[in-house]
Amino acid sequence: MVDQNSNYALQTSEVYVHYGKKMAINNVALNFPKNEVTSLIGPSGCGKSTFLRCLNRMNDVIDICNVKGKFLLNGNVDIYSPDIQVETLREKVGMVFQKPNPFPKTIYENVAYGPKIHGIASSQNELDEIVKDSLHRAGLYEEVKDRMDDIATGLSGGQQQRLCIARAIAIRPEIILMDEPCSALDPIATAKIEDLINELKENYTIIIVTHSMSQASRVSSKTAFFHLGNLVEYGETGKIFTKPDKEQTNDYITGRFG
Amino acid sequence: MLYLSLVLVFILSYSFYFYGKKRALSLKFKKNENLSSLPDYYGYYVVLLVFFPAIIIWFFLLIFKSNFQEMFVMSPVLFPDVATWSSGKFGLVMNKISNLSMIVNLSEIDLTVGDKSILKMASESEIIAAKNLANFDKIYGWSNLTLFIILPVLLGFLATKSISGKLNAQPIVEKIISYVIKGSSYIAIFITFGIFFSLVFEAINFFRYVNFIDFFFNTAWNPNRAFVINASEGFDQEALKEAFGFVPLLTGTLLIASVAMLVAVPLGLLTAIYLAEYASSKVRDIAKPIIEILAGIPTVVYGFFAALSLAPFIKDVGEGVGLPVSAESALAAGLAMGVMIIPFVSSLSDDVIKAVPQSLREGSYAIGATKSETIKKVILPAALAGIMGSFLLAISRAIGETMIVVMAASLRANLTFNPLEPATTITTQIVTSLIGDVEFDNPKTLVAFALGLTLFVMTLILNIAAITIVKKYREKYE
Repeated sequence: MVDQNSNYALQTSEVYVHYGKKMAINNVALNFPKNEVTSLIGPSGCGKSTFLRCLNRMNDVIDICNVKGKFLLNGNVDIYSPDIQVETLREKVGMVFQKPNPFPKTIYENVAYGPKIHGIASSQNELDEIVKDSLHRAGLYEEVKDRMDDIATGLSGGQQQRLCIARAIAIRPEIILMDEPCSALDPIATAKIEDLINELKENYTIIIVTHSMSQASRVSSKTAFFHLGNLVEYGETGKIFTKPDKEQTNDYITGRFG
Repeated sequence: MLYLSLVLVFILSYSFYFYGKKRALSLKFKKNENLSSLPDYYGYYVVLLVFFPAIIIWFFLLIFKSNFQEMFVMSPVLFPDVATWSSGKFGLVMNKISNLSMIVNLSEIDLTVGDKSILKMASESEIIAAKNLANFDKIYGWSNLTLFIILPVLLGFLATKSISGKLNAQPIVEKIISYVIKGSSYIAIFITFGIFFSLVFEAINFFRYVNFIDFFFNTAWNPNRAFVINASEGFDQEALKEAFGFVPLLTGTLLIASVAMLVAVPLGLLTAIYLAEYASSKVRDIAKPIIEILAGIPTVVYGFFAALSLAPFIKDVGEGVGLPVSAESALAAGLAMGVMIIPFVSSLSDDVIKAVPQSLREGSYAIGATKSETIKKVILPAALAGIMGSFLLAISRAIGETMIVVMAASLRANLTFNPLEPATTITTQIVTSLIGDVEFDNPKTLVAFALGLTLFVMTLILNIAAITIVKKYREKYE
């Protein structure tokens, strides 16, 4: 099932997830091409966020969650293998959450947190550079350069979310998972984040869960439609939104349910 | 009788609820009047109009019972010139009558010789007054009971009569209720101020004898001197200067409280971290209430524990390693107190750690931080203010704690920072100064109030600091 094609940043197959006895994901197989944006869409409770959280093992913290399946990073690293330390995995697979969750620390400390933990910077100067660079790439630097020592929770919602993106890319991940990153933001902040995603895909593989179909069509090149824990359809975004193969997909994107 | 009439007031006023409501409904359905309020409110309206006047009169009759008694006994009919008597004479006669009242109804056989001579010495009108006094309770009770049957019924019927469709009962009822609610909260506030001012006034009395500066800055505490000197020639100001030095009490209190905090802070905080972050919800549900029981154990039991088990144990261990340990060491009292305040730290800190949003934990994990890094670098800093608040509350509890130190700490004021030596605390000295037969014009007794006031202010400041810190912390996440 899993081919060794290294054009894929992440390959998954035979994925099953249970919460206790309740099935959340039923035999899903999905591959994520490198340096592209893939959207996961579907109605609430369809399992798209659960699937996303499997990809950096965030479900580990939920006791009753049981994940089975094959997950290969860069074609050769099994991320659920006992040899893999979950912290090292998360260094490579970063995540941005639905609600902005900056730490109640300064803006600088928020971004420097990851690099400090993973020992990425060899000197204070290098750390400063990483922080500056990450904020630059997240399109936030110009807005906060004069108040790096302010507490991050004082930023606006959109700024906080871009700070969280800066925090995620500060440890130089290969993949960034985004779980409805704009659902708590207004249209202007959303547009900024979407621009940012378009820039970031040059260097990162991005997997984004979204409820907004227009957002999926704007930012992603591949789209996967989930329903009731099943992967219904996967393909080029343009094709999914214009000529889907399955009737269920068609019903969802035309707004007949969900 | 008086209490029976109180029950009557409750029952009667409540039963008028149904009557008032029924009246309102009959207006609506039989006379087709539009009611301005919901029918229930007419019921409440009648109840309140019956209950409050009645209960106010009841309290009035309870409080002024002795005045009524005097008026009844010392009536001008029996003593025509009573209005001109001095209060001294009035008191004497009243006393005589109340003595007489105990024997006035006895039969001839039961009277002793002494009784008979007292009766002979009494005037005619005094004996009548004594008989009246003997019967007063019965008369007062029965008239009370009658009053509280007639009054509520009368009020109830009047109030019900006043109900009409135009009467808007709801705002009236709500206004009365809002006064009641407001009144209840003011009572608590007034009591707090009352306690504070009673302390202040007695403390001022104390500072008439002892200089303010001498009290707060002297290092010798010998309150018994004041007791000895008070022979008859008044107080020797110079000796008083030496008697009440607050400093050793303060250091003793702080020493014992510090030992307690040294026990409670690490144990409590680590417990909180375990409960909030590591324990499964099952363990937490069982362990947390059990730990909280520690705070519910009567402090006198900790006192036993400290005095009978801990202190000898510490003495033995200390002597084993060649350290001189007193039998009433500050260490023993402090350790027992520390165990008592563990739940203050653990329970409150557990709550604030739990209150740190899950999204912060996930944010940290998602960057690849381990659990311990997340706790150290994200969760504890985020919860720090709340944790500090819990420490301050624990300190103020430790400083104010009395029973443990009364039992386990020493009575001897000792200016030391060595926990192996005996030390005394502010609370212990308050207790000892109020034990025994000392009049309230002696500084040895009055010093209790000065100490109490100081303690009150100390813990008040700590509590305000704790509340401010905890509040600041809450604002961050809400």
